[in-house]
Parts: sequence; structure tokens; C-alpha cells
Amino acid sequence: MTFWKLFARNRGAVVGLGILVLIAVMAATASLFFPADPFSLAGKPMSPPGENGFLLGSDSLGRDVAAGIAHGAKTSLLIGLLATLVAVGIGIVMGALAGYYGGPIDNLLMRVTEMFQTIPSFIFAILLVAIMKPSIESIVIAIAVVSWPAVARLVRGEFLSLRNREFVQACHTLGMSDVRIMLGEILPNCLSPVIVIGSLMVATAILIESGLAFLGLGDPNIMSWGFQIGAGRTLLRSAWWVCTFPGIAILLTVLAINLVGEGINDALNPRLRERT
Amino acid sequence: MNFRIWAAAALCAFGLTAVPAPSQAQEAGGTLVYIVQPEPPSLASFLSTSGPIGLVAPKIYEGLFDYDNDLKIVPALAESYEVSADGKTVTFTLRQGVTWHDGAPFTSADVAFSVMEVLKQVHPRGPNSFREVTSIDTPDEHTAVFNLANPAPYMLRALSSYESPMVPKHLLEGTDLRNSDLATSPVGTGPYKFVEWKKGQYIRLDKNEAYWQDGMPYLDRLVGRFIPDASTRTAAMENGEVMYGAYGAIPNIDAVRLRDTDGFSVTTDGYSMINPMALIEFNTTKPPFDNPAVRKAVSLAIDREFLIENIWFGYGKPATSALSSNFAAVGLYKEGMPNYPKNADVAGAIALLDAAGIMPDANGVRATATLDLIPYGEDWRRAGEYMKQALAEIGIAIELRYEDVPTWLKRIYADYDFDFNVNYFYQLSDPVLGVHRHYGTDQIRQGTHFVNSSRYSNPELDALLAAGAQEADATKRAEIYGQVQEILAEDMPVANLFEMQFLTVYNDKLKEHATSAMGAYGSFDRAWVEQ
Repeated sequence: MTFWKLFARNRGAVVGLGILVLIAVMAATASLFFPADPFSLAGKPMSPPGENGFLLGSDSLGRDVAAGIAHGAKTSLLIGLLATLVAVGIGIVMGALAGYYGGPIDNLLMRVTEMFQTIPSFIFAILLVAIMKPSIESIVIAIAVVSWPAVARLVRGEFLSLRNREFVQACHTLGMSDVRIMLGEILPNCLSPVIVIGSLMVATAILIESGLAFLGLGDPNIMSWGFQIGAGRTLLRSAWWVCTFPGIAILLTVLAINLVGEGINDALNPRLRERT
Repeated sequence: MNFRIWAAAALCAFGLTAVPAPSQAQEAGGTLVYIVQPEPPSLASFLSTSGPIGLVAPKIYEGLFDYDNDLKIVPALAESYEVSADGKTVTFTLRQGVTWHDGAPFTSADVAFSVMEVLKQVHPRGPNSFREVTSIDTPDEHTAVFNLANPAPYMLRALSSYESPMVPKHLLEGTDLRNSDLATSPVGTGPYKFVEWKKGQYIRLDKNEAYWQDGMPYLDRLVGRFIPDASTRTAAMENGEVMYGAYGAIPNIDAVRLRDTDGFSVTTDGYSMINPMALIEFNTTKPPFDNPAVRKAVSLAIDREFLIENIWFGYGKPATSALSSNFAAVGLYKEGMPNYPKNADVAGAIALLDAAGIMPDANGVRATATLDLIPYGEDWRRAGEYMKQALAEIGIAIELRYEDVPTWLKRIYADYDFDFNVNYFYQLSDPVLGVHRHYGTDQIRQGTHFVNSSRYSNPELDALLAAGAQEADATKRAEIYGQVQEILAEDMPVANLFEMQFLTVYNDKLKEHATSAMGAYGSFDRAWVEQ
């Protein structure tokens, strides 16, 4: 069966993918539909949804909530993907080295990994961003730094179980270099779980970014959903729309990514292939 | 009015405000839980004027005077005073029978020590308040004679317990003032005694049974609670856990809602001695703000009414000069200064930039800069976001920067590593006390907070400020400060935005908490709670 057929067996995953595509399209076309800066003071402050030309209302300064959500989608997806790529990159390197060589290298790398795992990840991320000064780069770095240990653990486990298989031993006998074996032979065989964990990590990264922005640690020059919620929080009782809509956006995105992640898992996991 | 008449008038006022008649029968006893936000770094009010310290320390320490809501002097540790004919000697007669919380008697030696050894040395504003004091004679235990180099009428406005607390000589003499134990376990003469400070939770003060005002304070206990989250503070106020929150502890948006709720009230009283002004400090030593035209253009491009209406919910008044309009009462405020529009004057700002030869590039950008923002809450962030938009309209592209308080203070006041900075200053009850520190060349004090961070230096202005500090004649003084305001409207090293109105939200069961001009920085000696 093709990947798509396997994936499509999970109805939820297809729905999730649909939502995700919509959000991606929204992010890509944000500048078409809302050409103005999302921070621009577009009209009467605190307008309820549908009034004064604001589809989803305006916030305390008269900024368009809908424009913020469209432009914020870009930020959220960008940070989610970038942070995940960096985290997966670090995780694969650490996990591969530890799993392939074992012994003292494994010991050292895993102790380092554990050190990172013992620190509560969100608090660690807050600390990192606060030290580095909030900006897109520092947020990506902070999220990556708190996320990679899970990937490292996973990759190490896969490498440990694969490194003594016959095909790897055959490669050794053929005189292939360690790097080539790791990248060319073992890694492709353990990619499926990495892709699954990576897809779920995007959701976590978006949540962390929103949390940071909510606490005022987002990049103040870039619109994001967390920022909108943080800025609208004090208005919750008098202008519910300011933080409700970005909240729904985060909810839908994270839900969609989780559904897609599960779909990928179903499709890639051989043990589940026969599941009906 | 010359100085002698001024002093006589003050003396008259003195007699009139001895003990105001209570409006309602007080009930003694009970506990007042109030919000202290944020948690103070210490209780050393003789070292720092930090706001949260002011919410606690004046209940424990006292000053020579207090001030009523009309800014008239109310005797506290000093029963009366007399100014000599030449204005250079001020004699205070101290109250008898006052003791420190540890039982030691309060004497004139404490006054001399507090002013000469403590306030003049380590207090942020003390060197200004007492700049003319050369020595203090103590002919007997209850007389303190201040010898001044020049007349200093403003000094009598700086003797409250918040501004100039009297501290115990017997506990502080010979110790390292900056690392004193008194910073965390204060001993004063005030109506409440320090009992306990539970870090992260509360400070507890109990009634001083030996207080010199008979029957006072009415309350048995004061508890200052620290609640970091704004919505939690509002909830605590609503369910009666706390009864009093000042200095924006309850965000304006919630205050406006509570104002319309039964059982709660909102007041702007109790801030008249503070005179807070929201403003922008420009770094005048580097581009783009080394050019006065750009500074003025910024001042023109900002819609002061928009800020007040949409971010501070109507509480505030557009600034129209370097001095607050509250100084109109003493004749120092000058009306009709240019460059402080109520509503944005975009065309005017662009004309200024054009005339200065600061032209837009292909993207319409004339200048770029980073705006730092006082990290004291969400309102300031919104203000920064607004300014970014407003300044984009005149081609000034800005980046916003938020940092934590120590980093921000260091950046602005120690490293001078900034372009422009949104902040607020207390202008206090006299320009010498609250305004000179922005502009004087002698106020470029690297490492000292809330002084001339613009590093603006103008000998002509310095001369005027020096003359204004010493001028006893009210008309001449008004003329001097008129010139000061004219120079500052043109040079604009600091762009005043609006006169802030802080809000105090309180439970209606709490009575007589705003009897002093110091408001929340007062002693709460007459506050009482309806049981």
C-alpha cells in the first residue's frame, strides 16, 4: 500500500492535514489579504467582531485581530518548523554518536542529555530567552535546546538495536567509513520514528512559543498568537474576542499537527500496518 | 510673594491644620490587608525611593512633617518650625516623648544624623533636597537648627516620611549604611512596628502601642501582600482578601469596572506630592536623537490623547510643558509651550525633519532607532507598540526592546547604551526636587538611577536652574522657570508625554486612608476598617 493510502485510513489525520494546509495557506497569503503591518492601528479600539470593518474585532489599540492571526500564523509555523529542525538535527547527531559508538562516548553524551532532561523545559526556555533577549533567533534556539534530548534518546535506542544487525556488519566488512554507515545505512532505517516525533515536536514548539510570547518574552517586533493572547488577557472581561480567536488558532493548529503526526505514525509503523 | 511672606503663610497654614475633625466615628481594631506590588527589594527608605518601599516604610518611619491633601504642612516629628528673616536658618522644634520602636528616645541628634549622615549621603534625592544645608545645630534634645548656605524654600516640601525618613542614630551610626540590618528589619517612630517579612508572601506590621498620637493608630495590624499577577490582584480585591491597592496595582481596565461595582471605590487622591510624568528620554549624544529637530518631531508625532484614552483608560492629562500643570498652583507652570501637541501633528513633524535635512530613503525611512520601555507592566508595552506605529508615519523606524528591571536600569543609567527610552518620573512638589535631575549638567551621574540619562548639558539652562533653586521671590522664580520651559520645549532632551493619574482602588469598608497628600506612601495612622 502506498504511504498516502495508509495515511488516509486515519480519518482524523486527513482532517488534520486539511486544517494544517488551510493554516499554511493563510500564513502564505497573509500579506495579500492584510497588506498592512498587523501592528498598525487600523481603526476604533476595542471594536467587537463584525463592527467597524473588523471581521474578528480589534484590540485595545485598534489593531485588527484577524490580521494578527493571519500574520501570526507565519510566525508560529516558522518558529515551530525551525526549532524542530534544529532540535532534530542536534538530537540525531547526539543520539547517533552515542548509539553507534557506545561505551564511554555513550555514557558521556547520555549524561549530558539527562542533564538537560532534568530541567523543566518551559522554565529552561524562559531562562534562555530572558538571558539572550527576546528575538526570533533566541526563541528558536531556546525551544531547540529544550527539545532535542527526546530525539537524542530515541535515535540512540534505534542505533543501539541496529548497529549489530547483519547489514551493518556487512558494511563494516566492506570497509565503509563510520560516517557513511551511520548516515547512509542506519539513519534511513530509523527515520520513521524520528519523523513522527518531529511532527509532534512542531506542535510543542508552537505551544512553547505562544507561552513565551504570552509571558511577554516573544519578539516584540513580530506578531504572534501568543503575543495577541498576552496583550488581550487583561481585557478578557471587557473584550473577549482579543484573546479568544488567537487561542482558537493555536488550538486548531496544535490539534491538526497532532492528528497528522498520528497519521504519519500509523502509516510508517509496520506493526500497525494491518490495523483496520 | 517674597520669602518672608511665604514662610509666614506656611506658618499660618501650620496652625490651621493641627488635627482635622473626624467625619465619622472610628472603630478601633482589625487588620488591613493591602497590596504591595511588586515585592520591595528592601525596606531601606533612606537608601532608595523605589515605589514598593514607599508602600511599607512610611508606616514605620516618620518624617519631620506630613502634608495634607491641599499640600499644607502637618506637624509630625517636628511640632513647629521657624525660618529666619534671611531664609538661611530653619529651626525645628521637635515633639517630646517620642520613642523609637526599641524604646530609645527620639532626639535632635537623630535628626542631625538622618539629614547630614544619611539622607545627604546615600539617598537618591536627599543631596538635592538638602543641598543648601551646611550643618545642623542641636542646642537641646528637642531643637534642631538647620544652617543653610542659601534660602531653600523647597526643602520644607521634602520632609515627609517617604521623602526624608528620620532614622535611628543609635542603630545606624558607625555601620555600613548600604548593608544595614535595618534594611530588612526597620526600627522607626511611626504608628506601626515591623514584625515579619515572609519573602514572596507578605510583610506584617503591628500597632505601635507607644505611638505619640493618643489612640492611634486605629488598626491593630497591617499586612502588605505581594501578588505578582495582575488578574489575581483584582480577584483578591473583589473577594475581599485585600482592601487597598494603589499605584496601578489594580490595572486601569479592572479599576474602571470596580468603580462601577458596589462596595468598591476608585480615587486619584493621594498622589499630589508625587506628580508623576510619563516621558521619553532621548540619548542626546548619538544619532538620530543628537539632533533636536528629530526629538521635537517625535514629540509632535505622538498622539498624547490616544495614549491616555486607549491605554490608560482616560486617566491622565496630556503634558504641555517640561513642568507638570500641577505647578500652576505655585505659579511655575508656563502655558502655551510649543511642541507638546495633544493630538499628533504628523505634518508638523515631517516639516521639521525635512527642514533639518533628514530625508526618507527608498523605503520611506528617515531614521532608525531602538526604543527601550520601562518594564513596569503591560501598559508600557502597549505604549511602545503604539509609538512604533506613530513614528513609522514620520519615517522613524523603531525596534522595541523589553528587558528586566536591573538590565534596563543598567542600560539606561550606567551604560548609556540606548537611543530613546520611555519612562516615568516623579516631578514631586517642587521642580528642584523632581525636575532638575533630568536636565542639569551636574545630574549626569553615571550609575545613579532616574537622573539625567539624556546627558543633555546646556550652561544657560544650568545657570537658570541654579538661580531657580535659590530664588525666594515667587514672581522672579516664575520668570526663571518660564525661561527653563521655553528652552526645554525647543531643545527637548526629554519629551514629556502625559501627567499620569495613578489609581487607588479600595474596599468601601476601609475609611480615612487618604488623609495625607502622600496617599499610599503615607502612614495610614488614621485608617480604620468598618467591622
